[in-house]
Amino acid sequence: MSIAARVFLFPALLLVGALVAGCGQEAKEKKPAGQGQTPIRIAVACPMTGSGAAFGEMIQAGAKLKAREVNAAGGIAGRKLELVVEDDRGDTSEATNVARKIASDKSICLVVGHFNSTCSNAAKDTYNRVGIVQFSPGSTNVDVCRGSPWTFRNLYRDDYQGTFQARYARNVLKLSKVAVFYDNDDYGKGLMQSFCEEAAKVGLEVVAREAYIRERTQDFKTPLIKVKALAPDGVFVSGLYNEAALIIKTARQDLGMNVVFMGGDGLANDTLVKIAGAAAEGTYITTPFLFNTGQDSPEAKEFFAKFKQAAGRDPDTWAALTYDAVGMAVGAIRAVGDDRARIKEWFAASTAPEKGYRGVTGLTYFDREGDCYSKPAYVARVKNGQFLPAEKQLLDIK
Amino acid sequence: MSEFVGHFFNALTLGAIYALIAVGYTMVYGVIKLINFAHGEIYMFGTFLGLMAVAGLGWHLGFAIILAMAGCAALGAAIDAVAYRPIRGSSRLAALITAIGVSLSLQTVAQLIWGANPRAFPTEGLPAFLLRPVLSVAGAELLGKELLVWVAALLVMLLLHLLVAYTRIGKAMRACAEDKVTAALMGIPVNRVIAVTFMIGSAMAAVAGVLYSLKAGGNISFRMGYYPGVIAFAAAVLGGIGNLKGAVLGGLLIGFTQALCGGYLASQYDFAFAFGLMIVVILFRPWGLLGRPESARA
Repeated sequence: MSIAARVFLFPALLLVGALVAGCGQEAKEKKPAGQGQTPIRIAVACPMTGSGAAFGEMIQAGAKLKAREVNAAGGIAGRKLELVVEDDRGDTSEATNVARKIASDKSICLVVGHFNSTCSNAAKDTYNRVGIVQFSPGSTNVDVCRGSPWTFRNLYRDDYQGTFQARYARNVLKLSKVAVFYDNDDYGKGLMQSFCEEAAKVGLEVVAREAYIRERTQDFKTPLIKVKALAPDGVFVSGLYNEAALIIKTARQDLGMNVVFMGGDGLANDTLVKIAGAAAEGTYITTPFLFNTGQDSPEAKEFFAKFKQAAGRDPDTWAALTYDAVGMAVGAIRAVGDDRARIKEWFAASTAPEKGYRGVTGLTYFDREGDCYSKPAYVARVKNGQFLPAEKQLLDIK
Repeated sequence: MSEFVGHFFNALTLGAIYALIAVGYTMVYGVIKLINFAHGEIYMFGTFLGLMAVAGLGWHLGFAIILAMAGCAALGAAIDAVAYRPIRGSSRLAALITAIGVSLSLQTVAQLIWGANPRAFPTEGLPAFLLRPVLSVAGAELLGKELLVWVAALLVMLLLHLLVAYTRIGKAMRACAEDKVTAALMGIPVNRVIAVTFMIGSAMAAVAGVLYSLKAGGNISFRMGYYPGVIAFAAAVLGGIGNLKGAVLGGLLIGFTQALCGGYLASQYDFAFAFGLMIVVILFRPWGLLGRPESARA
């Protein structure tokens, strides 16, 4: 091979790779417009790469299922619904870029996203400035909707979740000393704080608060050796599934820590079990929604079956919440058209149960900030590698 | 006491892994004065190859590591032939930028092949002794996998030392490191020596990748190489880049700083302590602990 050939071969290979990747992007959700009319476009912003990628898969699958159903039923007033999926990598600066791109595209009338609280917080300034509804099916940080008139969500906040978990740990699991690991971003810190505040009130001692940084912290043995010496009877992880899996696995397998592991809804993904394996058994997580509770609504049962058929796997909480978010967005567009400002007015007016949207995950309506208080938290426990409803729920705290 | 011994074992394990990666940086730098920023990605590819062999083909871990080493050696040589050799004569900056480009390209290729979701070695597919304690000191246990890291690192380093000090190719490497032009004039096939250097460094990165992933319990993803790469680069600089013993010393020092400061001060700043140590050392010895000043080297 001559030098010239070598010089050209490598870039050529890369180019082919890039083209293959590019084609994949282009093919996504492009459908011919119905009756020659322009399609209605909704953006879906979520992490498709990075440490939240598994969430992104479920979010996309949920959104696509809803879009397919809407289009199969004739679209929205004869116009096709088209999804514009954007990858924010779970990263704040990328979320801002994605937000600018979406906001400046006038054909997009609403954003379903972002997932990570830290991304929603980073992106909301752009959405507010330009004026486009940001509807998150996953961000639980307290500040996401605060002072942001264009931001809404269809799940609980972390102050609710954290309080709930501290009470569950103390009153149901009877723990007395816990160590907390938290992801050093908006979600991890916010949830950790509300957990610790409530823990102090219910008499649950927090013996350690260990921060870590997603993707950067790859080995948890050092903080776990420290935590083990403090002899807690529980470990609470306020972060996402990958790091939680490593913490649980290292603690159980390598250090033989026989304690109760708990975590927030950031752990609610099968990847937790795939990485931690048998060590994940018995882990408690809270989630805004859960299947197979024995009291599933007909909507939830129907969605479960449809999703399984379409995606070839069981749906999770995030697929269901995104399915509902797209459903509610479609409801808004049906009612007021695809004008960004009028969609916002419709959302802002959905402040009571009778004006809300009933979907798979229950009823969604908002308070004045755009927060959603109509859904409880469920407790799931890993059993035989699956998230199943824990024996004891705690649905009545307010 | 149990806590201290635990941190000590952990520090030595981390240090051994960093040393394995750092050696790859330092060997390449020693011979062609290039900081191979794609080294972290070679480490990542090696780990994926090991994972594929264990999880996909059901191979024994030992064979999986050998496959990963062979695959990475081939990858290292291929990168050198395709990306670095054509610009050998040009400025060091051009080579550096190329290295960054190669790094990004390899990440993208890995994402296309293996997706974006992190993975882990399946516990069932691994030899059982890895998770059993093999030694217990003051209540702190040393696990089989940690012992494996120490033994593997020691063995690989010893072989490398013998290779560089006593074989023909080792002599040729040292000659190229000293003066490439004169070496070429003496009939040493410089390009082949450089390719071999890349192959050895890459194979060691593969070992490090598989072992680190076993130690930490997972983390196999297309971006996994970045931070260990940066840390190991700091280790190589700290020890004196271009010097093999320096890389080992630097790796161990960084491992100890990270584990002990992380364990007793604040674990989220473990990187800061490690880099702080590097900064302090190069303030006083810009050429690193065991390196030689540039002027003396030329």
